[in-house]
Amino acid sequence: MQVIKRRMIYASLLMALVLQLFPWSGWGLYLRPDFVLLALLFWMLRAPQHCNIGLAWFAGLAIDLASGSLFGQNALAYAITAFFAVVYQRRLILFTDLQQTSYVFLLLLINQFTLFLLKLFAGAESPGYYYFLSCIISILLWHFVIVKLFSPRGRH
Amino acid sequence: MEYQQSPKFFVRGPSAFARLIMFATLSLLLIASDARFSYLSEVRQSAVSLLSPFQWLANYPVVLYNDLSDFFTSQANLRAEVKRLSSQALVHGAALQQLKTLQAENEHLRSLFDASKTTIRPTKMAEIMHLGSDPFTHKVIVNIGADKDVQAGQAVVDAAGVLGQVTRVYPHTSEVTLLTDHDLSIPVQVERSGLRAIAFGSGRDYGVNLPYLPANVDIKVGDRLVTSGIDGVYPKGLGVAKVTSVKVSAGSPFATIVALPIAGAQNFRQVLLLDLDHKTAVNEEVSKVREEEQLSKISKGNNNNKSVKKNAGH
Repeated sequence: MQVIKRRMIYASLLMALVLQLFPWSGWGLYLRPDFVLLALLFWMLRAPQHCNIGLAWFAGLAIDLASGSLFGQNALAYAITAFFAVVYQRRLILFTDLQQTSYVFLLLLINQFTLFLLKLFAGAESPGYYYFLSCIISILLWHFVIVKLFSPRGRH
Repeated sequence: MEYQQSPKFFVRGPSAFARLIMFATLSLLLIASDARFSYLSEVRQSAVSLLSPFQWLANYPVVLYNDLSDFFTSQANLRAEVKRLSSQALVHGAALQQLKTLQAENEHLRSLFDASKTTIRPTKMAEIMHLGSDPFTHKVIVNIGADKDVQAGQAVVDAAGVLGQVTRVYPHTSEVTLLTDHDLSIPVQVERSGLRAIAFGSGRDYGVNLPYLPANVDIKVGDRLVTSGIDGVYPKGLGVAKVTSVKVSAGSPFATIVALPIAGAQNFRQVLLLDLDHKTAVNEEVSKVREEEQLSKISKGNNNNKSVKKNAGH
């Protein structure tokens, strides 16, 4: 039984935030994986008692601040995504890696689409379909790096 | 099972759905208040200064890379640059001499016409730290802020032309919205014909649009657009964009005109922030109207007070 410390969760979230804040530009901005959301989902599946919708909301708020967008846009998108992750959390941890990955991909799409709608409502111009490329990069990162490196669990 | 640490049976608190409703309501409230009112700008400023160490950390690799590439630049490159710059200085010097006489002549002519004098605005030098991290907007962050008296609304130019406008000021940085952003528009004039128009950022492919111009408008591909100076924000005659396509369709009374900005956040790291010119005719007009409004409000308030007192007396 491995004890998951709260400190570790916060440290990893801050690290993800720094990666997200890295000055991506041009195509890099479209291809940038959503590091913070990936970290949140990772912990939501493993430690739902520490990492819940509230933490996701606050992380979203931090991103709103950093990106200078309207207060609460990213926060709302993250909260909705976190809801779908937490509701099925008990089933998700019994899934195989591939099943989990496909569900996480769905969650990333939900997040991206919610944000897309919110931004369009706020009067932004759609950046085009490239915008959804970030989901694909994110899921590749999730499947080939995050799960492989940071998940030392034995299968049940 | 590593997932259940607590021996308690109901460790989860309120249900996920209740939490979602709570946080969703909270964020909708925040979005609405941020979009409609400006109560949150101070909250945002203080929170951004909390985030700034992380931003600094994230920028550090890029800063380091720039410093290193500056350090290891070859002598040949430096010599070529010195040669280019000194020849440029010669050309500019000759042009400047002409400019001074022209300026004096222009002032004289303007005084003959009784026109308001044009002033040269003081500027502040700034450096672009990074581009904005939101694919929906076109913004850059520059390295000076409220500590150097930057104000929202200042025009930002680089060596080639207008870059955009300062939209938010943080303690040590400020946010510049580029011309190509969906929310920014700029009054322009076609250099060749003197025709005035307003250029709107397209928000998408790094261009600006000139909508609402009739199909028979006198604009050609390659025309230079410069600022017209009637808005009081941008001084007259700065380069803005170059027209790249003019399309006329039979179905629409308007021409579809697209132009590409001359200045580019990708090209230069140093930019100039022009101080706000409070003495323009438009601003004077606006401040007059505001003063009158305030006066009328105060007098109304006095009247109300008097009537209240009268009522109380009765």
